[in-house]
Amino acid sequence: MKRYDIAIIGSGPAGLSAAINSKIRNKDIIVFGYKDFSSKLVKAPKINNYLGFHDISGIELKEKFEEHINAMNVELTYERVNNIYAMGDYFSIMVNETMYEAKAVIITTGIEYTKPLKGEEEFLGRGVGYCATCDAPLYRDKVVTVIGYNKEAEEEANYVSELASKLYYVPMYKDHYDLRENIEVVNEKPVDIVGDDRVQKLIMTSREIETQGVFVLKDSISPAQLVPGLLMEDGHIKVDRTMKTNIEGCFAAGDCIGKPYQYIKAAGEGLIAALSAVSYLDSKK
Amino acid sequence: MIKEIMDSSFLEEVEKQEGVVVVDFWAAWCGPCKMLAPVVEELSNEIPGVKFGKVNVDNNPQISQNFRIASIPTIMVFKDGNVIDTMVGFRPKSELENMIKKHI
Ligand SMILES: Cc1cc2nc3c(=O)[nH]c(=O)nc-3n(C[C@H](O)[C@H](O)[C@H](O)COP(=O)(O)OP(=O)(O)OC[C@H]3O[C@@H](n4cnc5c(N)ncnc54)[C@H](O)[C@@H]3O)c2cc1C
Repeated sequence: MKRYDIAIIGSGPAGLSAAINSKIRNKDIIVFGYKDFSSKLVKAPKINNYLGFHDISGIELKEKFEEHINAMNVELTYERVNNIYAMGDYFSIMVNETMYEAKAVIITTGIEYTKPLKGEEEFLGRGVGYCATCDAPLYRDKVVTVIGYNKEAEEEANYVSELASKLYYVPMYKDHYDLRENIEVVNEKPVDIVGDDRVQKLIMTSREIETQGVFVLKDSISPAQLVPGLLMEDGHIKVDRTMKTNIEGCFAAGDCIGKPYQYIKAAGEGLIAALSAVSYLDSKK
Repeated sequence: MIKEIMDSSFLEEVEKQEGVVVVDFWAAWCGPCKMLAPVVEELSNEIPGVKFGKVNVDNNPQISQNFRIASIPTIMVFKDGNVIDTMVGFRPKSELENMIKKHI
């Protein structure tokens, strides 16, 4: 399999700045992101604090970014990365069924992940899971609750219900639910996941359910879920001044590493992360 | 080298063993298990004096039940037959290596 020098995850200002600077240093890169680059970019009505571009709209700035990366032959791969595994000397990057490999990784995924529920992190792996299809067979003939933040969660709930003795579905959105008949929909707000050394109960605003497993299925992936083993601090990826994370070869930049949330800060950090990744690669030679 | 361990051989291979034994609980349908497997394999060749085993949770429900495996991959470190450390989910190679080396 082809092994890239650097994989950049995210196409906001941090990711794009990391991309052009890696390219300038002749690295073989892959950049994952979206056609619009970042919804936070195209949504901004007026930007007055990006040096060199006074009174520019988000869309105009996006077009400038686009001209820039096109001129430097930086191509985007329009895919969402599900998991990044630190294998030792390289990283395996999973995109649904496809796998990519890179020697170094730069995380620039921005910030918009939903806050964890009370007890969610505490019981992770001890009854709480994020991938129903992965762990479902371990809950055969047990009571399972799926907290679903989107339509896709319904499919996973249907699958788990084939194995579980009882399945509760707690929707975090309003819609019509395509669920199997034997699934009980609970329209309540989850408050707390409790137990002893394992999950025992899900406490909601006006009801409690006894359950041995709770799957929390969200839209956005928090960095610690994206990169197992990644160290976080106060909801952000922990980095040092060179944008190095606790995992060798893994760097991070932009909103995902902390405040202030600003374009030019993100771009500056993307530059630092790229240069750090380059020196990391050189040190391995 | 990693030894395949079954419900029937667990007592002999793990619980009656002196020293450190690392057991990887996995299943064929689990993606992160597939990713962790080569990492564990590498460590088994790099760390001398530690025994490495793996338990397929599908074929060995008894042991998986006894150790209350709720998510896989789960790595358990045994010392003189007792669990002294557990790691749930994929973890970077360095982290797994540190966890094992701490106990030898
Ligand atoms: C309405 C609005 C107005 C703003 N105005 C200003 C302003 O005037 N001045 C200013 O300095 N800042 C402003 N900001 C803040 C600014 O948008 C952010 O600080 C900046 O976009 C951060 O850049 P980033 O690259 O870190 O992340 P983002 O811009 O959030 O980009 C991250 C990208 O990565 C993608 N991504 C995430 N996860 C994955 C994955 N797993 N796989 C692939 N791709 C992924 C995301 O979808 C996104 O496209 C504004 C924000 C908003 C919402």
